[in-house]
Amino acid sequence: MLKNYIKIAWRNILKHKSMFAINIAGLAIGIASCLLMLLFVVDELSYDTFNEKADDIVRVVFKAQINGEKIKEAVVMAPVAQTLKNDFPEVVDATRIYNLGTPKIAYGTTAFRNGKAAYVDPNFFNVFTLAIIDGDTQSPLEEPNTVVLTESEANKYFGNSNPIGKNILIEGNSQPFRVTAIIENVPQNSHFHFDLFASMQGFDPAKSTSWVNSNYFTYLVLENGKAYKNLEKKLPQVLQKYMGPQMQDNLGVSYTDFMKDNQLGLFLQPLTDIHLNHDFVSASQELEQGGDIKYVYIFSAIALFMLLIACINFMNLSTASASKRSKEVGIRKVLGSQRKQLWQQFLSEAFIATVLALFVALGLLVVLIPKFNELSGKALQLSSFINASSIGLLIALTFFISLLAGAYPSLFLSSFKPISALKSKFSNSGHNKGVRSGLVVFQFAISTGLILATLIVRQQMEYIQQKDVGYDKEQLLVLREAHLLGNDLNAFKQELLKNPKVGSVTQSAFVPAGPTDINMSTIYKDGVFSRRMAVYNIDGHYLPTMGMELVSGRNFSKAFGADSTKVIINETASRLLGLENDALGKTITDAGKTATIIGVVKDFHFKSLHTPIEPLLLFYNPYGGLILKAQTADMAALIADTQNLWKNFGSGEPFDYELLDQSYQKTYLVERKMGTILNIFAILTVFVACLGLFGLITFTAEQRFKEIGIRKVLGSTVPQIVGMLSKDFLKLVVISFFIAFPIGFYTMGKWLEGFAYRIQLDFWAFLITAIIILLIAFATVGYKSFSAATMNPVKALKDE
Amino acid sequence: MLLQLKNIFKWVNSGGQRIFLLKDINLEVQEGEFISVMGPSGSGKSTLLNVIGMLDTFDEGEYDFLHESVHTLKEKHRANLYKEYIGFVFQSYHLLDELTVQENLEMPLLYKKFKGPERKAMVADMLDRFNIVGKKDLFPAQLSGGQQQLVGVARALIANPKLILADEPTGNLNSQQSEEIMHLFKKLNEEDGVTIIQVTHSEKNAAYGSRIINLLDGRKV
Repeated sequence: MLKNYIKIAWRNILKHKSMFAINIAGLAIGIASCLLMLLFVVDELSYDTFNEKADDIVRVVFKAQINGEKIKEAVVMAPVAQTLKNDFPEVVDATRIYNLGTPKIAYGTTAFRNGKAAYVDPNFFNVFTLAIIDGDTQSPLEEPNTVVLTESEANKYFGNSNPIGKNILIEGNSQPFRVTAIIENVPQNSHFHFDLFASMQGFDPAKSTSWVNSNYFTYLVLENGKAYKNLEKKLPQVLQKYMGPQMQDNLGVSYTDFMKDNQLGLFLQPLTDIHLNHDFVSASQELEQGGDIKYVYIFSAIALFMLLIACINFMNLSTASASKRSKEVGIRKVLGSQRKQLWQQFLSEAFIATVLALFVALGLLVVLIPKFNELSGKALQLSSFINASSIGLLIALTFFISLLAGAYPSLFLSSFKPISALKSKFSNSGHNKGVRSGLVVFQFAISTGLILATLIVRQQMEYIQQKDVGYDKEQLLVLREAHLLGNDLNAFKQELLKNPKVGSVTQSAFVPAGPTDINMSTIYKDGVFSRRMAVYNIDGHYLPTMGMELVSGRNFSKAFGADSTKVIINETASRLLGLENDALGKTITDAGKTATIIGVVKDFHFKSLHTPIEPLLLFYNPYGGLILKAQTADMAALIADTQNLWKNFGSGEPFDYELLDQSYQKTYLVERKMGTILNIFAILTVFVACLGLFGLITFTAEQRFKEIGIRKVLGSTVPQIVGMLSKDFLKLVVISFFIAFPIGFYTMGKWLEGFAYRIQLDFWAFLITAIIILLIAFATVGYKSFSAATMNPVKALKDE
Repeated sequence: MLLQLKNIFKWVNSGGQRIFLLKDINLEVQEGEFISVMGPSGSGKSTLLNVIGMLDTFDEGEYDFLHESVHTLKEKHRANLYKEYIGFVFQSYHLLDELTVQENLEMPLLYKKFKGPERKAMVADMLDRFNIVGKKDLFPAQLSGGQQQLVGVARALIANPKLILADEPTGNLNSQQSEEIMHLFKKLNEEDGVTIIQVTHSEKNAAYGSRIINLLDGRKV
């Protein structure tokens, strides 16, 4: 019997190749998208779970609001780890990371500047599960000046020779470090990816007892990770006990007084939350850019929606072909089929289609995954499906989809009465029509929502691109590593200035976009602590090179003598200091050093548009790399010239550069990527929804075949018939707007709130979405309506 | 006696009025009879045939088929009954377009749960008997109307029914094809003892039968 079902199914497929292709295409796209999103979501949720103690590890973070400044930091003070371990029995272990960035690392003559390095406490590998594959597996970092390398890092320096016991040099340390162990590379789904772990033992600042300076990522292993809130409740007392006295000494305020107007505290963040949850820590403070739980939700929703839309499609197209199958149902019933057997038949057809679609989907994934990885910066692999539980899941999914997609059509088809089925006079009851209409509304609500979201994301991105950020980000070449030239830097700079392609050059390690130095200082005005403010160290060429404007006062200039006790502040700082109109000549104190304000610079965005502009102080203290303003549109030529010059100076350091406008764009890379992904899925959902709509209009046109014939004989014109057929569907599409728009308005409003500087949600985005969807829907419906309207009416009427 | 209809009424309600499709039909059919049902369009011929074939219900009266009271049976039992004992032949053949001649013949056997080798033998036998062995792998669309109806009859016969119900079996055929099909019916009736009830418009075809029932406005006349 099953053979017969499959035979019939197969011959039906061959007979209705295009309809079947539409059906499989829709289903395959749905399944592929769903699986892709599933891979993404599972990967995002798996961060740090490879640690055996993952559930019991928490990170200590610092949150504060001091004189209006909100601080969320992932680093805490040096003594926190040991103190908590000593004071609370529920803290089983505590370990710290001190981020070293990417220092120059050398073994003999082999040197690189691309390994991420950190100091870690000796118990680090007891807390985090990073398998030691060679060397001292017990306590590799017990002694000072020892270092553990990852496999690939070791390979860079030692190739095939044994690295254990060899000495390497780490920039900034006179003593060499002895390699004591090799670990496997840090898993991709970890919130840090250091290549080199040096022992904290020899790092003296780590022994500091200061409760005022925060520099250490601190992790605790708790007896019971789930109960971390209990420990968190005790942390305010810890701060009062240890930080209180030091605060009195440093700020001259008692802890109690300070806490009257301000808030600060230590909080605990579960390890597995770090990647996705940024309530604790500003994304910029993290060791690495994390993911975002918002996107996990959005992608899960898209996965589910894509699957639902595809299944709905299948349902609609299957019921749409019902008129074609009704004769078969009738014959089979007369020849002795029970309803159950027909039900089984149609369900097995759905199953066959689903299995086929699944294989097409897996094929699509082979092509799509690399593209998606490129887009999302992930390293997803199809091979992660090759294990027992995933295959089980796929099989379950296949059954689930066939049931979801096949149950309704099979019930519908098998319910025909034999006599009416033979006459193709099956009833199209209002109930069925209602179900189908509901499904169409649902599909289009989702499509509309996604198109709207895409448009709004695009508008915001365009806004960011076009926003006046207070400096001219075009044609700026940043040579961050130029300071490596040491004493030659000035000569290098002079040579650069001889090049007619170069407009001006400034030396500063402070760049408003991309990686940059940023210092915080504690500012007093008239002897009273005001708040922490960001500090830029610049030279006299900085403001003109960057195209920043002075609102009042002057720039740093040799003409006025030494400027080291002078300061330029931004408008926000001047406002916060209460110096709105007469800042010039006033003084502020930073760490005991008094500076006179000589100028006010127009506010520029030195952080991303996610956050409002903060107060900023610019001091004359040139150090760091160089920033070049080009006087040519041909940046490539300028880069080539600069690179040649760099080589001529023979520092042996690699030439590295960045274009500021590219760094600026990279700041919004996450949004940009998500925007692109959203865009693709919006197109896919619309496409699949249109397939469904096409199926439905086909169905309707067939059903109303005779009616159309009669109307034409009675004198109806083609446009009238097209209008009549299209009207009902377009009505459904319009209804879907009323569902999608309020939800879209709310959700996208929330998303935009993540930007301090954002577009207003306006009427246009909604109007354009509506027009796009209506046009697409009308094109879909209109084509079929037109062919139905132009057929020969005699054909319809002689059918009796 | 094969079947007996007693005071059968069937009606539809339309605009508050009861319109009778069948009115007080009494009919006895003995095994081995060949009955032709005649009457103008709308006289209830097809409805009567569908009621006998249990594809349609009636509103009043009693129907005994092989001493079972059809009117008291549940739908499922009724379906089992007609599947077991009745074969249908349709005006427009109603073969499954996606299946070959051979596969079309096999289908009723599948639903009656015959085993594979048994099915093969029965299909082969039928192909042989109707002289269509050469066409067994063709699809209905590749056959002429007469040949299609031949397959239709073969399919109706394959599971050895006691009764064949044929609703205008020659309605779509030309005169020569019609004659062939009617000859076949006659032969089946006389040589194999199959009971046949056919609906027809044609006096000539009706004459093949042993008895003629005339209907007018749902009544036997």
